[in-house]
Amino acid sequence: MSLSSLISKLAGATALVGLSALGVQAQTSGEPVKIGAIVSVTGAGAGLGVPERNGLLLAEKDINAKGGIKGRPIKFIIEDDASNPDTALSKANDLIFGQKVQALLGPSLTASTVAVGGVTHANKIPQIAFTGIGPAVERERKCVAHVLPPQRLNATALLEYAKSINANKIGVLHDAGYGNVVMAELRPLADKYGVKLVAVEKFEIGATDTTTQAAKVKASQPDAVFIIATSATPFRNVKQIQITQPVVAAIGSSSYEYVNAMGPAADNIVIPEFVVGEDPLPHQKAFVELYKQTYNSTPKNYEAAAWDAAHIIAAALNKAGADATGEKLCEAMKAPYSGVLANYDFSADDMTGIPISSFIFSKLVGGKYTRTPFRVTQ
Amino acid sequence: MTPRSLLWLAIGLVVWAVLPFVVPRYIADLLVFTGIYTVAGLGIGLLLGHCGIVNLAQATFYGLGAYASAYCTVMMGLPSIVGFFVGAAISMTLAYVIGRPILRLTGYFLALGTLALSAIASALFFEWDWLTGGTLGIGGIPKLDLFGFLLDRPSRYYFFVWIVAFACMAVARNLVDSRTGLMLRAMRDSSTAAAALSIDLQALRTKVFVVCALFGSLAGSLFAHHASFVSTQSFTVDRSISFLLIPVIGGATSIPGIVVGALFVTFLPELLSKLGDIHQILFGLALVSVVVLMPEGLVGAFGKLRARLTKRSSGHG
Repeated sequence: MSLSSLISKLAGATALVGLSALGVQAQTSGEPVKIGAIVSVTGAGAGLGVPERNGLLLAEKDINAKGGIKGRPIKFIIEDDASNPDTALSKANDLIFGQKVQALLGPSLTASTVAVGGVTHANKIPQIAFTGIGPAVERERKCVAHVLPPQRLNATALLEYAKSINANKIGVLHDAGYGNVVMAELRPLADKYGVKLVAVEKFEIGATDTTTQAAKVKASQPDAVFIIATSATPFRNVKQIQITQPVVAAIGSSSYEYVNAMGPAADNIVIPEFVVGEDPLPHQKAFVELYKQTYNSTPKNYEAAAWDAAHIIAAALNKAGADATGEKLCEAMKAPYSGVLANYDFSADDMTGIPISSFIFSKLVGGKYTRTPFRVTQ
Repeated sequence: MTPRSLLWLAIGLVVWAVLPFVVPRYIADLLVFTGIYTVAGLGIGLLLGHCGIVNLAQATFYGLGAYASAYCTVMMGLPSIVGFFVGAAISMTLAYVIGRPILRLTGYFLALGTLALSAIASALFFEWDWLTGGTLGIGGIPKLDLFGFLLDRPSRYYFFVWIVAFACMAVARNLVDSRTGLMLRAMRDSSTAAAALSIDLQALRTKVFVVCALFGSLAGSLFAHHASFVSTQSFTVDRSISFLLIPVIGGATSIPGIVVGALFVTFLPELLSKLGDIHQILFGLALVSVVVLMPEGLVGAFGKLRARLTKRSSGHG
């Protein structure tokens, strides 16, 4: 056993002992504080919902071990929306009016978030969504916070990295869903950055072959290639047709599920994101260790987003009172918060307040993430 | 109508009227969805039960209705009623234009033709994001306002949706009991014989397809005003399949069967979801069981059971 692994094991053991010691010290009692959560555990969004559920369950244990909400335990009632906005709406109605939750976390997908926001906004129920802010109507919903960056910020991060490697001609491969949304923000920003989009190729969601589109991107001789999708296919195709230019990918394809599906193609790809479980930032270490001990796997962005959302609502409840809900809880939520994923400020116009400096730029090397030294300062 | 059936009707009406006030809000919400799915399923039931046509394109018309309502109210600021009419007009025109050629097909080929229509429409809903909002969808659709009475919660919207559903059922019943209905049955049982009796099969099928599209569009508009939000995820081929399940499960030839089918597809997944992550597998199993064990649907099976019981009791008597 090397010294470093011995130290990390010792640190992990200390964290666990510390946590259980806290649990002994800080016994919670009384009626649980009920918080609803809607995630996509099945269906197209399961790649997001499953890690989010893990993050929530871990956070619940952690919050209760640290004394809960003013001595009362917190309880997350987690429901699956099967990646369907109609189901999400029914679940929200059940959680809010049936189970009388004080706040709502989730859902995992933008469409479901907008649908559920209609109920939470109208009934003044605080909500923290695991998505970036979506259509214009969400800007009016001042009590629906978001723990993931708006797509404009994701587009900015991609362009910042391109600028840092002096890539002025960019070829883009994107899908018709998530990719389309990021592209809508990327186009106007490209001009601002003096970047020319020499090829923009779109493919269908769930496409099993994007070689034609990748070949067109290659033919345009770009300095770098952006891949904006929730799929491993374009990454494999880009390697197959031997595109040698740097590949920069949006956060949507950062989960291990996609990385594993990329196979040998998961190499030399840069992703602007937040959590590199293999090499966490100092403030992320405790979370990553705890996660690894509990689930025996390495967490990424969505686990951390859910963990943060849970802690944000707990902090707001501790501030506003264990029974707080409605505008009172909402106001308590609107404060800067330093989370594992990012630094938030929910009083910001985009209901997220994540600064570009929260992004880290990771690089996939042989299917494993490494953290690059590049960061963007404000 | 016998006094006994009148009594049952009165009891049914009272239960219907009281229901949204006594059940929790999320059950009322599911009952609203049941009403919406009943409207959409009625069209499919007419095609399947009376023409023998498998329509896998209902999500297209449902989507057209929903997007028409969303676009007219949110983007153009027009009154809600305009969205209903625009959606219905577009859906019926499309059904006519596309129905004329593809309804010449029969059996599996026709089913595949409608499936293709649904797949194309689903792709267009994604691609035409200037019109549909694409993945992000269109949010902030206003709740319906009926003469100053805002239908802003499930217990209020329930009445509106179900009155529309009952009206659609009346239209469907009328159609089935009319001369057209007789022609439909003749065509379903033997299209050659029907054609020999100078029934214009093509025109007849197109007519029912257009009515089906109208119901689909109406349901879509009702959905848009209930959810206040529309996105491509609500109008995929999966939704077309679940609409087809409504008459298959309930009983395609029976109009109350459509309500039973709609109850099945809205409530069963909800009940099963309490059992954890395997709920979708359980729903699949329930579905296969109904189709295999009750080929005439739940209402058909219930009818058979009742007939058997009556026979047994009269045999004993």
